[in-house]
Parts: sequence; structure tokens; C-alpha cells
Amino acid sequence: MKKIFHIAHLDLKLTIRDKAFFFWFLAFPMFFILIFGNLYKSNPADKKAALLIVNQDRGQWGNYFVKKLESPDIELDVRTSVPEKIIRMLVIPADFSEKLVTQNSQELQLRKNSAANMEAGAVAETKIVQAIARLLSELIIYGNRNIEDFFAAHTPFNDLVSIETRLPKDTVAVVPSGFDHTIPGTIVQFIMMMVLIYGGVMVLEDRKNRVMERILFSATSFGELFNGKLLGRLLMGLMQAAILIIAGKIFFHLNLGNIFLSSLVVLVFTLAMACLSIFVGSVLHKEELIVAVSVLAGNVFAALGGCWWPAEIIPPTFRILAMVSPAYWAMDAFHQVIFFGKGLASILPNLLILLAFTSVFMVLALRFFKIRE
Amino acid sequence: MQPPILEIKNLSKAYDHGKNPALVNFSLGLNKGEVLGLLGPNGAGKTTLISILSGTLRDFSGSVVFKGMDLFADRQLRNQIGIVPQEMAFYEELGAMENLMFWGGLYSIPEKELKKRAQDLLALVELSSRAKEPIKKFSGGMKRRLNVAIGLIHQPELLLLDEPTVGIDVQAKVSILDIIRQVGLQGTTVVFTTHQLAEVEQTCSRIAIMDKGIILAQGTLNELIRIVGEKDIVIVSGEFSADRFSDAIKPLIHNDIEILSITDNEAHLAFANSEGIPGMMQHLFQQHVSLADLKIKSPNLEAVFLKLTGRSLRD
Repeated sequence: MKKIFHIAHLDLKLTIRDKAFFFWFLAFPMFFILIFGNLYKSNPADKKAALLIVNQDRGQWGNYFVKKLESPDIELDVRTSVPEKIIRMLVIPADFSEKLVTQNSQELQLRKNSAANMEAGAVAETKIVQAIARLLSELIIYGNRNIEDFFAAHTPFNDLVSIETRLPKDTVAVVPSGFDHTIPGTIVQFIMMMVLIYGGVMVLEDRKNRVMERILFSATSFGELFNGKLLGRLLMGLMQAAILIIAGKIFFHLNLGNIFLSSLVVLVFTLAMACLSIFVGSVLHKEELIVAVSVLAGNVFAALGGCWWPAEIIPPTFRILAMVSPAYWAMDAFHQVIFFGKGLASILPNLLILLAFTSVFMVLALRFFKIRE
Repeated sequence: MQPPILEIKNLSKAYDHGKNPALVNFSLGLNKGEVLGLLGPNGAGKTTLISILSGTLRDFSGSVVFKGMDLFADRQLRNQIGIVPQEMAFYEELGAMENLMFWGGLYSIPEKELKKRAQDLLALVELSSRAKEPIKKFSGGMKRRLNVAIGLIHQPELLLLDEPTVGIDVQAKVSILDIIRQVGLQGTTVVFTTHQLAEVEQTCSRIAIMDKGIILAQGTLNELIRIVGEKDIVIVSGEFSADRFSDAIKPLIHNDIEILSITDNEAHLAFANSEGIPGMMQHLFQQHVSLADLKIKSPNLEAVFLKLTGRSLRD
């Protein structure tokens, strides 16, 4: 075991020593994060649950409903006419009081800008539903008395009803910002690219320089050499992930959901890439070829797999095609953990599929692993 | 008498599905503390032999016994053997000290001890002052010296060196041969392959001459010289063909003159009595063989090699 760590440690050391290390492992992925994070970021001006209310009601009930909406979680802006530019707007119609008094059903309109912040929108919508529920509750308590006397007689039960919103188990609890999608996407993409490039090229160079052959001159076995190389590449990928997670936490307040589960996804995905990098480094005979194949595969799988944009928005045909990419299963697992707050049971199929990829790549790596030209 | 530390018996290896034999029933015994020079031209089978002994070449027949045990039965025996390959097999991005620490780490040497050994070896190969510098900045000779040091980091009982002086200048060569001599004097058994006659003459306690996968002769330098006898080697050169020279010299061939080799423009002859040389010159002149130069050499390893293989070592 000590020899495996010894060999792995050297590969990690050589990676860090590379003069392009800082660029490839930090600067370049940060550039990706900034580009895609800003592309998919919601309107920053709408971080608070702001709600514009256009109260066109001719009676008193419109104003009363607005009072029911008041809450520390929401910023209300009440107007009587529709402005030109809106983010999120609730329209109380002119006949609101009239229909309420005559006990007719009615419709409230909630209009949203497509760029509106989803998290704030969820808060506003919850508050609207709560206000409707509170108003209806008060009307039920008031009973069959004369509705015209409501405002004079309602004081005893005004705000008597409070509504607590309990979300079902699988409800979206947190709607992450664009960076919460982009950073895991960039982590997956760069684990893929860096492990394939650095891991593959080092296998090639070690073979050409005959250092792997020389390692086997000692009592080190083939298995120890292979596992050392595998562990080295696993550590490269984990180092890449750690760098981006730390940078993401510091600069973008990254939310990774359950950190244990997110780390598990990173670990299993990196293991698959570690095996693939040994295979790539063993079958390709030129450094330029390894770099080209790795960059091409890394970018295609990243785009298909949902690293650049959520896989949910790509056409169904491409989504089926994307399933051949390990990145797809890693990103899907990240979405389950980060966006939907799901547990191990939900991402277990993803982990098992990634382990299946690992097994296939491991067989290929073992079959083609060459210690000399 | 102690049993040999290394005993190679009937080792055979062929490439291209048996079409190109590299070793043919090769047998060799090596006693503890010996420095053996394995001399042979390119393609003689030297590197194949080292590759088999280092465990990287398979599909051979025969046996190799190291300290009474089958060398390939127990990987742990490799901890007692140091191998210096012909290639500079190390990490050029790392420094000499870092390289030695890495390679030594494969032998489970405690770190403190390993560090000391690395420092001692760097002193031995005269690289102490540049211990931290990346190897890629080293000259060819410095790299060769480090290559040897790596093979010694675990203090092996047997050191195998495959052409350790290839491609370096005279000064670096002398330095490496010095290191080999010192290692031998410290009790390590050494085998090194080369096609440089002078190297084995200067360095080895025993010499084995091999060609086409077999050992042609082995012994000390004096023992080998006796093979050609106490004859002077005469090298004549000029504008003549091999056939023309052969026909012209034929009447002079008797017990005192022996043909070692004849090629176009050059012939090697062995003379028991150097007084016959002027007579030969006159005879060749009368036969209209045009001579440009004549050299007389005392019996040496080159002559032995020439006699055994019928060709010059650098052919």
C-alpha cells in the first residue's frame, strides 16, 4: 500500500509542478464559471421577494387582501395602474370586492418576467396563497352574518388565523443561483479534461522515458504500479474539485446541498475518469493526440452531459444521447442533491451507472496498460 | 569455495517468433565481488540479457539462480539487485535528490536512512552541489552519473549496468568507470555491458566476450590475450580489394603469420616474429599491392575480439 501512495504522490507532485498547473486547474475553469454562471444567473436586482400589486378594486376588499399579504419576507409595492416594466406583479381586478360580496368565483392574475429570480418568486407565490387562505378562513369564521358589517365586526378574529406552509418531502426547498449549477458543471468538465490530459500524458511520458519499466526493476509489482497510477489520477481529479469548490465557496457562495453526497458524486466520477485516463495514455502514442482527444471528449461530453446548461433544457433526442456521457450521470446526481435536496437513495442509480462506467474503463485500462513502447 | 552469487544456465531468447535468436543457450556464473565486463558489438544480445535479468522480458528458456534461488520466483529478490538501464530512466522535472528519494522509496528504506544514502551517493557521483536543480538542466554526463546513482540507492548486492557510458564525453566516461570501480571495491558484484574495449580493460576483474547470443570466451585480460598468443598485430591499409590482398599474401602464410581479417583497404595480420614484417612489405610491393599505412600493435583485447569474431568491435 505504501508503494501505491508513493507512486501516486509523485504523479500529484509532478502535476502541481507543471508550469501550466495554475492556469489549467484554477484560472481557466474560473473563466468558465464566470461566463456560464453569469449567463444562467437570475436578475440580481430581484433577490428579495418583491411583489408589485396593481390594485384596481373599486371596493374595500382589495385593500384588505393587500393587508393580508403584508409580511417581513415580502416587499410590497402597491399601485393602481400597470407600469411598463415588471418583474413580478399581482393584479387585483376592479370587481374583486363585488364578486367577493356576491360570493362569485374570481381570478387573480400573477404576471412574471422570465428573468425573475425563481427563489423570490416561490416566496411571493407562497405569500399570495397564504393571504388567500387567511382571507377565506376569516370569511368562514364570520359565517352567515351580513357581509356589509364585516369590517366593523371582524376585529376579534382579524389575524386570528395564521397559515404555516409545510413543504412536502420532495419539494424544491432551495432554488440555487446560476453559479450553483455552473460550478458543479465546471468541476465535472475539468475533472474530465484535466485527469484525461495530465493523467494520459504522464502515462505516455513515463512509458517513453521507461520509468515505469524501471519501477518494476524493484520489488514493486505490476498491480502496485497500476494502482499507484490510478490513485495518482484520482487524487488529481479530487484536487481539481477541491480547488473549484473552495473558490466557489469563497467567491460565489456555492451551495452544494448535502456535502457528503456531493463529494461521493465527485469521488465516483473521478474514479471513472482516472481509469479512462490510463487507457487513453496507453493507447495513444503522441502527446498532442492525447490533448486533442481529451479536450474534444471533455467538451462534447460536458455540453451533452449538462455541464454548460441544464440537461433538462436540451432536446429529448440529445438527452438520450447524453446518457452515454458519464458527465450526464454526475450532473444529474448533482441536480438531485443540490437543487432538489434529495438523498442517497435518489442518486444511487447514478452512482451505480458511474461505477459501471468505471468497471468498463478499468477493464480497458488493465487490458491496454503498457509500461514500455 | 563459495557458490556463485548469480548463475545463468542455458538462457535462450529469440524475437520474431523464433526467427531472430538473441541469446542461444547462454550460460554464465558470477562470483561475489567480481566486476564482469560483458563485451560485444551491437546485436550481440547484451541488452536482451539485462532485460531478462531485470524481469521486463519474458518468454525465454533457461534458468537464472541468484544466491541459490530462482530469480523470478520471488519478487523480493529484486531488492538485492540494482539495474542501470541504457536509457536515462528518471524524472527530468525533479531534482537529483528528489529522484533518489523517489526511487529509494520503492525499496521501503526509512526516510532518514534514505536521505543519508542519497546524500552519500550524490557525493559519490559528484552532484551534491546541484542536488536540487531539475535534471533537465543537467549535461549528458551528469544524467548518466545520476542514472548509476539511482541503481545504487538501495545498496544492491548485484549491480547490472547496460552500456552506462553510451553517448557521453571522455571525462564523463572516466568518472562513471571510476564509480563502477569504487562500487566493486566496496564488495558489490557488478556486471556491465559495453562495446568499448578500453572500458573493460580498465575496469573489470573478468571479461566475457559475446556475440550472436553466445559467450565466445571469458577470463581475465591476460587469460584472454593468451588466446591470440604473444603475437604482434599488424594493421596494413591502402588501396586494395580484399580479394587482391588475400591472393597476394597467400604465399607468405605459415606458422609465423596469421590472417586475422581482410577487408577492402584494410587487413589485420598476426606476426609471431616482427622481423618478418619488412619481408612482407617487399613481397606486397612486388605483387603491386599499394600500401598507404602500417601499424604494429602489441596483443590486446581488440586482437582477441578480432580473432574470436572475425570482425572489428565497432563493425
